[in-house]
Amino acid sequence: MESGTRLRILEATYACVARWGLSKTTVEDAAREAGLSRATVYRYFPGGRDELVAAVVSWQYVEFFTRLYEEVLDAASLEEVLERGLLFARRAVLEHQVLQKVLQTEPEVLLPQLTLQSNRTIAAIATFLEPYLLRHPLAEGVDVHEAADFLARMILTYIASPGHWDMSDPGQVAALVRTELLAGVVAPA
Amino acid sequence: MRQDWAYRLTVGSGTLSLVQSGPMPSGAGSHPVTARHPVAGASDQRVRVIDATLACIARVGLGKTTLDDVARAAGCSRATVYRAFPGGKDALMTAVVDTEVSRLFSELAVRMGAACDLEEVLVSGITGAARRISEHQALAFLLEHEPEVVLPHLAFDHHDRLLAEVSAYAAPFLGRWLDHAEALRVSEWTARIVLSYLGCPTQSLDLTDDADVRHLVRTFVLPGVTVLSGAPDHAGTAVVPPTRRPVPIAGPTTSKGEAS
Repeated sequence: MESGTRLRILEATYACVARWGLSKTTVEDAAREAGLSRATVYRYFPGGRDELVAAVVSWQYVEFFTRLYEEVLDAASLEEVLERGLLFARRAVLEHQVLQKVLQTEPEVLLPQLTLQSNRTIAAIATFLEPYLLRHPLAEGVDVHEAADFLARMILTYIASPGHWDMSDPGQVAALVRTELLAGVVAPA
Repeated sequence: MRQDWAYRLTVGSGTLSLVQSGPMPSGAGSHPVTARHPVAGASDQRVRVIDATLACIARVGLGKTTLDDVARAAGCSRATVYRAFPGGKDALMTAVVDTEVSRLFSELAVRMGAACDLEEVLVSGITGAARRISEHQALAFLLEHEPEVVLPHLAFDHHDRLLAEVSAYAAPFLGRWLDHAEALRVSEWTARIVLSYLGCPTQSLDLTDDADVRHLVRTFVLPGVTVLSGAPDHAGTAVVPPTRRPVPIAGPTTSKGEAS
């Protein structure tokens, strides 16, 4: 969790990115926006601009999945976690103006950063899902770790790229969860 | 056993004939271009230049590859490269991508076309794609050293476009066992799985390994597929263990995939 001056710098940098994009944001911009000196920013981010940009992407990425986590925390069942999570996350991606803008204008800067996060995210989502899997009657022979990893991968891909599915339609998301996520994981009803 | 096969593919504005024989080169760099493509027509020249470009990218990447390098690797003059690709490096790169995608699809067509049940279509398609992609030296170099060149074409909206293309291409191979909408859906789903495991590999599953992929297909994919009731016996029901029958489900209400 980010806090104090570091968080203040990240928030300021984020405001600059929203205005000017990732490539054009400089340490000076971030310092001015935060009301701090360049030296202070460098103390927290010795790598300068590159480190700052990487940190702001990473911070926003964690924020996104933290919101997703909070959204589904009170879900009662595996199905509900997946359906609510997918509906929420897809909407959040589409409504995230800074993300959408940067995806349009600077995908070559953003995507290598996001890809670095993917492996950790798969592991984090899988860890979150495991207790739900353990409470659910599973199909014969299904390994919980393996199933959680598979589900985490599927969640990430549908959030970023829904393909032919309408991820704003709860009925379609429910069908998606029953077939492409859970058909092989849970015991047949 | 691999037959010689020929196909046509569209490259940019023109159409290019490609004749392939023997296994695809595992890496463009080791690919004996001159031996396989004796100079004949303009399209042979284009193929030579394309393969030379792949060899250069596998060695030094896209940014450092010049048209001079390509000409040298292709054993022709810079003027010849420009005659073959008047649009220069950008046009050449478009042709390289189109060619490699067509080569991948053609190889998958041979593999999936030979499969005799649904499980086999999926396993051969997944392992075929995974092997070809993971052995692609030019792509590997770019992902390692110049990811900013590749990733924008593989993520978010571009990933959607890629999925639509792959599913439109692969669906007919599943059509013996699945209706059209279901074949499109399953193709798209399978393409997601391939791209996820290739993009973020895990130690517990090797996508180029038949046994690993068969396990993945049996465990997570086939139970989510609705097989046509009139399909051949060995197609659907027999490949799924008796306790794990395909679950008929209602998919999206609109005609799937056709909107994209």
